[in-house]
Amino acid sequence: MPLFGELFLSEVLKKPVFDPKGEIIGRVRDAIVVKGDPLPKIAAIVLQHRKQLSLIGWEQVNLFSKRVISTFLNEGEIPSYELNDTDLLAARDILDKQIVDVNGVKIVRANDIKLEGYEGDAVLVAIDVGMRGILRRLGIERGSEGLLKTFNSDIPYNLISWTYMQPLSPQLGSITLTVSRQMVSDLHPADLADIISQVSQKEGAALFENLDIETAAEALSELEPDKQAEMIESIEPEKAADIIEEMNPDDAADVLSDLPTEVAKEILEHIEKEDAEDIQELLHHEEDTAGGLMNNLFLAYPPDITVREAIERFRKDAEEVDPVYYLFVVDALEKLVGVLSLRELILADSDALLADIMETKLRTVAPETDEMVVAELISKYDLVAIPVVDNEGVCVGVITVDDIIDVIMPREGKRKRRKV
Amino acid sequence: MSAFWKKAMLFLTVMGPGIITANIDNDASGITTYSVVGARHGLSLLWTLIPTTIALIVVQEMVARMGVVTGKGLADLIREEFGVKAAFYMLLGLFIANFGNTVANFAGWAASMQILGFSKYVMVPIGAIAIWILVVKGSYRILENVLLVACLIFVGYIISGFMAKPDWAEVGKRLIIPDIQWDAEYLILSVGIIGTTITPWMQFYMQSSIAEKGIKKEDYRLTRLDVIVGCSITDIVSFFIIVTCATLLYPHGIRVEEAAEAAVALQPLAGGHAALIFSIALANASILGAIIVPLATAYYICEAMGWEAGVNKSFREAPQFMGIYTFIIGLAAAVVLIPGAPLVDLMVLSAIVNGLMLPFVLVFMIKLVNNKKIMGEYTNSRTYNYISWITVIAVAVLTVLFVFATVFPIA
Repeated sequence: MPLFGELFLSEVLKKPVFDPKGEIIGRVRDAIVVKGDPLPKIAAIVLQHRKQLSLIGWEQVNLFSKRVISTFLNEGEIPSYELNDTDLLAARDILDKQIVDVNGVKIVRANDIKLEGYEGDAVLVAIDVGMRGILRRLGIERGSEGLLKTFNSDIPYNLISWTYMQPLSPQLGSITLTVSRQMVSDLHPADLADIISQVSQKEGAALFENLDIETAAEALSELEPDKQAEMIESIEPEKAADIIEEMNPDDAADVLSDLPTEVAKEILEHIEKEDAEDIQELLHHEEDTAGGLMNNLFLAYPPDITVREAIERFRKDAEEVDPVYYLFVVDALEKLVGVLSLRELILADSDALLADIMETKLRTVAPETDEMVVAELISKYDLVAIPVVDNEGVCVGVITVDDIIDVIMPREGKRKRRKV
Repeated sequence: MSAFWKKAMLFLTVMGPGIITANIDNDASGITTYSVVGARHGLSLLWTLIPTTIALIVVQEMVARMGVVTGKGLADLIREEFGVKAAFYMLLGLFIANFGNTVANFAGWAASMQILGFSKYVMVPIGAIAIWILVVKGSYRILENVLLVACLIFVGYIISGFMAKPDWAEVGKRLIIPDIQWDAEYLILSVGIIGTTITPWMQFYMQSSIAEKGIKKEDYRLTRLDVIVGCSITDIVSFFIIVTCATLLYPHGIRVEEAAEAAVALQPLAGGHAALIFSIALANASILGAIIVPLATAYYICEAMGWEAGVNKSFREAPQFMGIYTFIIGLAAAVVLIPGAPLVDLMVLSAIVNGLMLPFVLVFMIKLVNNKKIMGEYTNSRTYNYISWITVIAVAVLTVLFVFATVFPIA
C-alpha cells in the first residue's frame, strides 16, 4: 500500500525517489494515468535523472507520500522511458489545461490533481481549481494560510470531483465537464451531496465544513444516513446544532436517530428548546411509519377566522414552514376539523369564514400507519400532502409528497461513475 | 481586377487587430516620448524609427501568427507550456504595469481635456463610463469598428507635421543616416523609444484579439499584411510627431516634459490649429489606450486562469473578464482625480515593471512560436529565427538599459 490517505500531484512532482539502498535515483517528472474502476488511477511514475527518463510501475513503488517516495527496484533494474503521445500523463496532459463545461464555456484551469489511496492504488479523485491549488504550486499555500488566519479568514477548498469529468485522453486541448458552469459555481445542495458522498470522508468533511449553514442543512438532508452521521460527527457540536436547527424537524430527526446516542444528546443540548422538542417528539416514532416520515411543523388555524385574516397570518407564519400545500383547521382542542388548500384559500371571498369553505371529508393517517400505506393513499387520491392524526383526532404532523417520493424511490447515490 | 477587389474586400474583414494594436501603441506615454524627443533633440533621433519599426513588425508578426494558428491567447499558451509559476508572477507584474499605463492614459485624457477647456472632473468620469459601455455592452465587431475609425484621428499628427513646414531634405537625411551622440539624455531617450514602442501588453492584446476574431489559417497572409501596415502607420505617426516638435519647439529651446505641454507650447508658435490638432489627437490616443490596456489585462488574466473571456460576452457570461476591466478603469479614473496622487511615481513604476517583464515575454514568445507541437508547420524558419532572436536580444538589452536609466536618472 504505497499511498495512504490523500495528497496532491504537485506535492510529489520533482521530489527525489529513493532506491532500497537509500540512494536518490531520480526525481518525479510525471505519472501515467490509466482507466480504473471506479476512478482513474496511476499506473506508473515517470522519473527524470539528468536528461534521462525512466519508468517505475506502480507495483514497484514502495512508498508514495509527500515526505518520501521510494521503490523496490535498484538503479540498474529500471526501464528507460520515452515521452509519447499515447500515454496519458497527469502533469503534462491535465495540469494547467483549460476546463470547459458541457456547453464548451470556459470555467477555470486545472491547478492541481488530488490523489487518494484506494485498495492499494493511487486514484485521481478530483481536480483542484481553487486558489489553494495555485498557492500550493507556487509553494506558498502554508504561508498564505497563516497570513490569512491572522485576519481570521480561510482559503476555501475548491475541488471538482472526477465524477464530473468526461473521459480524458492525451493531446486533448481541454478537459470537459459533464455539467454546465452554473452547476459548478452554484451547485444545488443535492449535487453537493452527490460530491460529498463520492469523495473521501476527510475531503467531504472539508467541503461540508466550508458550506454556509443553510446550504449545509439542505445538502445534509440529501445525504445517505451513514454519510450524514459521518459529516455531523466531523464538525463541532455547536455548528452541527446550527445546521440541524436549520433543517425541517423530520429530516433533523432522521439525522439524529442515526447518530450515537451521546452525540445526538450533545447536539440536542445546543439546539433551541422549542426546536429540540419538535425533533424529540418525532424521534419517538418508528422510522418506516407515518410518524417517522411526518413533519410536525404545519400551519393550523381556528375555524372562525376570515379568509383575509388567514392570509395575513399565513404571510407571517409560512416563512418558517416548508413546503406548505394545505392549511389545517383545528378546533379549540387541537382536533383536526378540516383542511384547505392554498388555492382554495386564495380564490375564496375575503370575508368568508374558514369553517364555511374548508373541506371536511378528511383523509388522514395515524402515526403508526406503514409508510407504504401512506404512499398508496397519496397516490390513490392524488394528494400532495396528508395530515397525520392521533387516536384522539389531534393533528400531530403532515406528510408531503416529496417525503413519499424519497420512500418509493430510494436515493442510493449509485449513479454510474464516469471512467477515465 | 475582380480578383484584386475580392482580395481587398477580404483584407478589410481580416484587418483590425494589427492596425489597432500598433496604432494604440502610440498612447499617452508614446506620444509624450516622441514629443520630448523632438523638442529636446530635434531631428537627431529620427533615424531610430526605422530599426524600431522593423523590430516591432518582427515581434508583432510572431504573436499574430500564434493567434491565427492556435486560436488561443498568449497567456493561454504561457500557462499551458510554462506552468502556473511563470504565468502567475508574470501576470502579477503586468497587472501593476498595466494599471500604471491606464492611469497614464487617463492623465493624458484629463490634460488634453483641460487644454480644450473642459474640467477633468467632468470629462474623466464621462470618458470612463463611455469606454466601459463600449466594451461591456458592445460586441467585438462594434469595438473594432469604433477603434479603427478612432485610429484615423492619428492622421491629425501627419497634418500638423506638414503644417510645420519642415526642411524635408534635412528630414530625409536625418531619417536614414544614424547620428549617435554619446550624451546621457540622448541615449536614455533612444532607449525610451524602444521602451514605449514595444510593450508587453501589445503582445497579449494582439494575440487575444486575433483569437477572439477567429481568423483562419488560410487568411494568415492578410493578417501579416495587417501587422505590417499597422506597424508602419504607427511609426509614420511617430515620425510626424517628432518632426513637428523638432521643427517648431526645438529651435526655441522649449524643453517639454509631457505631450500636453507640447500642445500648449505649439499655440503661440504654430497658431491655434496645430495646438488644437495636437490636443484632440492626444485625447483620442489617451482614451484608446485607456480601452485597450485594461482590455489586454482582462484578456490575459482570464486566459491564464481559464476563465471565460471576450468582448462579445456579456457580464453574466464572463463575469471575471468584465469585472477586471471595470475595476481597472474605475480605479485608474479615480486615481487621476485624487488631488496629489503620486501619478508620476506610478507611471515610472509602471515603465520599470514593463521593461523588466518584456524580455521574459519575448523569450516565452520565441520559444512558443518554435514549438512544433503548438505551431505545426508554422514555426519560424531558420533565417527568420536568427532575425527574431537578434531582435529579441537587442530589444531586451535596450529595455533593461531603459529600466536602469529610469531607476538611476542622470540629472
